Amino acid sequence: MDDDELIAAIASGDGDDTALRELFSRHAPWLAARLRKALPPVDVEDVLQETFIAVWQNAKTYQPRGTPAAWLWVIARNQAAMLLRKRGQPPVPLPGEAAEETGPNADPADAVLARAELAAATRALSGADRHAEREVWQLLYVEDRPVAEVAQLTGVPEGTVKSRAYRARRLLRAALGSGTHSAEGGTR
Amino acid sequence: MTAPDDVDLDRVWTNVAAEVWRRHPGRIERTAAKLLKSPGLARALLTTPSLLGPWLIGSTLVLAIGALVQLGANQPLVWLIAPAVAAVGIAYAYGPGIDPAWELACSCAVSDRLVLLTRAVAVFAVNAVLGMAASVATLGTAAGAHTAQLTFGWLIPMTAVCTLTLAVAVAVRSAAVGAGAGVAAWIVVVLGRGALDSTASTPGLSPSPSAGTGLAGAVTDPNLYVPYLAVAACCAAVVYYVTRPQRGAQ
Amino acid sequence: MNIELYDVTRRFGRNVAVDGVTLDAGPGVLGLLGPNGAGKTSLLRMLATILPPSSGRLALLGRDPAKPADRREIRRRLGYLPQQLGYYPSFTVVEFVEYFALLKEVPPHLVPKAVAAAVEKVDLGPKARAKLRTLSGGMLRRVGIAQAIVNEPELLLFDEPTAGLDPEQRVAFRALIRDLGQTATVVVSTHLVEDVGAACTEVALMSNGRVVFRGTPEELTARGEAGQGVGDAPLERGYSAILAAARAAS
Repeated sequence: MDDDELIAAIASGDGDDTALRELFSRHAPWLAARLRKALPPVDVEDVLQETFIAVWQNAKTYQPRGTPAAWLWVIARNQAAMLLRKRGQPPVPLPGEAAEETGPNADPADAVLARAELAAATRALSGADRHAEREVWQLLYVEDRPVAEVAQLTGVPEGTVKSRAYRARRLLRAALGSGTHSAEGGTR
Repeated sequence: MTAPDDVDLDRVWTNVAAEVWRRHPGRIERTAAKLLKSPGLARALLTTPSLLGPWLIGSTLVLAIGALVQLGANQPLVWLIAPAVAAVGIAYAYGPGIDPAWELACSCAVSDRLVLLTRAVAVFAVNAVLGMAASVATLGTAAGAHTAQLTFGWLIPMTAVCTLTLAVAVAVRSAAVGAGAGVAAWIVVVLGRGALDSTASTPGLSPSPSAGTGLAGAVTDPNLYVPYLAVAACCAAVVYYVTRPQRGAQ
Repeated sequence: MNIELYDVTRRFGRNVAVDGVTLDAGPGVLGLLGPNGAGKTSLLRMLATILPPSSGRLALLGRDPAKPADRREIRRRLGYLPQQLGYYPSFTVVEFVEYFALLKEVPPHLVPKAVAAAVEKVDLGPKARAKLRTLSGGMLRRVGIAQAIVNEPELLLFDEPTAGLDPEQRVAFRALIRDLGQTATVVVSTHLVEDVGAACTEVALMSNGRVVFRGTPEELTARGEAGQGVGDAPLERGYSAILAAARAAS
C-alpha cells in the first residue's frame, strides 16, 4: 500500500493500527534524523511520539494529494514547537517544507538538485506563448487534479488537455536534460 | 535517511501503541472501580458473562413473559420463574466451571473469591431488580389482592436456590451442572409444596387468604422461610470451603 | 533469594506429588526438568501460590505465601503461565493482557504502556486488536507469555511454555527468558530437555516428586558422559543417565 492508502486506512472506521505501524516504520527514521538536527534525543522521541499519535487522531483531515511526507513533517514541526512552547523554551529553527525535498530519500545534495531543476523547469515554461502548457502543468501536476476537472476549469476538451500536458512534459524534459548536465557536470 | 543512533524508535512506537491500543473504561466501570477500590475487580465484574447484554436481554424477556402470562388467580409466573432465572445467571457468573483462565486468575493479586462474591452478588441484585420490576408490573392485573409477601417473598427462596447453584457449580466445576441442580431443586420444592397443599387441609398454614394456595405456596408459605435461609447459609459455607486454596487439580 | 523451599511436600490423598523438596533460587533461569508425573506442575503451582504445601517451609520473594497480605504482595510481582491456559475467545489480545494486568494490580495509569510493551515483546504487535478466537495455537501461547510478563514480575513461572511454538519462535522465547533472567527468577518447567537447556543458568531434575539433580547444564552434560545416558544430544544423555540412576536407587 502506498502512503496515501495507509493514511486512508488509518482514517477509516475504528482505525487500522497495522497501517499506522507501517507508516511509522517508513517515516519515523527520516523524521527522527531531521528533528535530531535541532533537538536532543529525548525531545526527538517525545515529538515523534506526539506526531504519530496526532496522525492517528487526525488522519481524517488529510487530503490525498500525494504529499504524505510533507504532511507528516508539518505535524512534526508543530508538535516540536508545541513541546518547546509548553516548556517555555524559545523555538528552534527547523528545516522548512516548501522548497526543499521532503521524504525518506531526502539528502542535502538532492535539495540543491531539486532547486536547480525547478529553476530550469520554470524557465522552460515561461513566456507568453507557453501560457496554455503552463496552466495545464500547474493544474494537472502541481495541484494534482484529475484530467476531467482540468478540462472543465480551462474550458477545453480532455483531449486538448492531454496534448498540452504532453507538450509541457516534452519542454521540461528538454530543459531538464540540459539543465542537469550544466548543474552537476555529469549525468544523474 | 536512517534514524540517528541515539533515538530509540522502538520505545517511541511502544508509547504510540500504548495510546492507540488503550481501552477507555466507561463511566459504570470507573464508578465501580472507585466503589470497589479496585480497577481489576471492576473490570472482572463488568465482564461477567451473565451480566452482558445478550444475557440481560434474555432474562428480561423471560421475566416479561412471566409478568404477562398468568397460570391462574394468585399464581403469576414471575414468582416461580425469577429464582430459576437468577440461579442460571449465578451459575454462569464465575468459577472453574465457566472461566477458562481460572487457574491463572487464582494466581492474581485480586482474590478469586472476591471476584466470585462480587459477581454473584451483582447477578443476584440485577435479577432481583428485574424480578421486582416484573412483579410490580403484574400488580393491578387480574390476579387480585397482592400483599408485599407475594410481591417480594420470592426473594428468599431465590437466595436459597442461587447459593445452592453456586455451591454445586464450584464443587463440581461445571456451570451447567450447577444451573441444572439449582433449577431442578426449585422445581421439586415448588411441585412438592403444591402437592402438600392439595393433599392436606391447610387452614392454619397461610396467614392471608390469598397465599399458600397452589404452586405459589413455595413462595408464600412463611414456614419455609427459615429452611430456605438455612439452606442458603449451608451452601454459602460450602462455597467458602470449596474455594479455599487447597484444591489443585491433579 | 527469590525462592526458598525447605523440605516441601505436597500430597493429594495418598499420592505424594512433591516429596521433601529443598530448593533455593535467585535471579537467573532455572530449568525444571523431568518426565510427566514427576511433580513439576505441582511444584510450580506451589510457587504460583495457588497450592499450599502439605508440609515444609516456603518463602517467595522473601515473603510467606500462607499469609494473605504477603500472598497478595507476592502475586503482584508474579507472572505465571500454566500448562493449559484457556482464553476468552471474544477478547482481543490487548484486552486479554490488560485484564490480567488489572487483576495483578498494575497501577492503572501504567497499564497501557505495560500492555503495549508486553505485546510488542512477544511480537504480536500486528495482531494486537485481533480477537483471540482468530489466532493460531502458537500465537495464543505468545499471548499467554505476554500476560505473564506484563507486570514486569520478579518471579516468572512457565509450565511447558514452548508447546505449539515453531522453531523460530522457540529461539525467540529462549532469548526472551535469557533477557528476563538478568533481573528476575525465571522457572521453566519442561519435559523437552534441549529446548531450554541452552537458555538456563541452572537446571533441576525431578523424578517421582524428588529433586534428583541440581546444577548447571554443563554439569548435567558431564553426568551424561560419565554414566550410561542415551540420547542424541549431550543434555539428553545427562538427563536419562540421572533418571536411570534415580529409578535404580528407589
